[in-house]
Amino acid sequence: MEYHIRRLREYGELANIGEIARRYFAMNAFDGVLTIIGVLMGNYSAHVHSASTVIVTGLSTCVAMGISGLWGAYLTESAERKRDLAELESHTLTDLSQTKIGQASRAAVVVVALVDGFAPFLAALVVLSPFFFTALWTDITISYYIALGLALVSLFALGAFLGKISRQSLIVSGVKMIGAGLMAILASYLLRVAGV
Amino acid sequence: MGKVRRLVLDVLKPLEPTIIELAEQLSVLPGVEAVNISIYEIDRRVENAKITIEGGDLHYDEVERVIQENGGTVHSIDEVVAGKIIIDDSATPQDPYQG
Repeated sequence: MEYHIRRLREYGELANIGEIARRYFAMNAFDGVLTIIGVLMGNYSAHVHSASTVIVTGLSTCVAMGISGLWGAYLTESAERKRDLAELESHTLTDLSQTKIGQASRAAVVVVALVDGFAPFLAALVVLSPFFFTALWTDITISYYIALGLALVSLFALGAFLGKISRQSLIVSGVKMIGAGLMAILASYLLRVAGV
Repeated sequence: MGKVRRLVLDVLKPLEPTIIELAEQLSVLPGVEAVNISIYEIDRRVENAKITIEGGDLHYDEVERVIQENGGTVHSIDEVVAGKIIIDDSATPQDPYQG
């Protein structure tokens, strides 16, 4: 086990996995939260009062985002890494596929694809979670409010995470992210008011 | 069979993994006592290194394996010393002037 962890750490340094995974995690979790805000506001505007309907539409969206992230990242990262490796091979004039560099490249593709798939899926699932407990408070409006509240908290946490990485104020970064969420909620609300 | 005590190799390797990591990996091979890696040429993606290894019983195929695992290639074996002790090459009149 220790050997595998050491190997993975080695690959992480060789292929710069940490930086890319962090970037994809933040970007895709953000996408996930905002997309599910859109789905929930759509359901709210359409006067959907059935928790199971919201859960089904929400889960379908979560799964679709997960598959999109996983597949898209796998194909994109794979293509980029192959191009990079081929370019390096043109300098070393050897086949690097069986070296640590080749192995690190392949590990990077897997890690990035997993992060890209699971980040939006889990972020959206967290926001959707209150609807699983609607029976506890019976009124679905409470679920909507808790879910949107969770969305804003998640966005703040994401912002704080980015602020920590860039060594800036965690609060300011968190508030910047909340701004995006509030804009999404407001835009959906205005669409409803406009009678669309 | 005699024991190889010193190897001097001309190696072309990518910039990553660094020579520090390569030296660490070579130094823990069985029979190796010390490793010296110096870079004599470097460009955007690769560097040329002179790798000197000394020890009680060096195994060239193991050394080559570690270098290749790290993306390097042995371009030439420039010097080898085998036997009971390490000796340097003798000066001869044909040697180029060293100043």
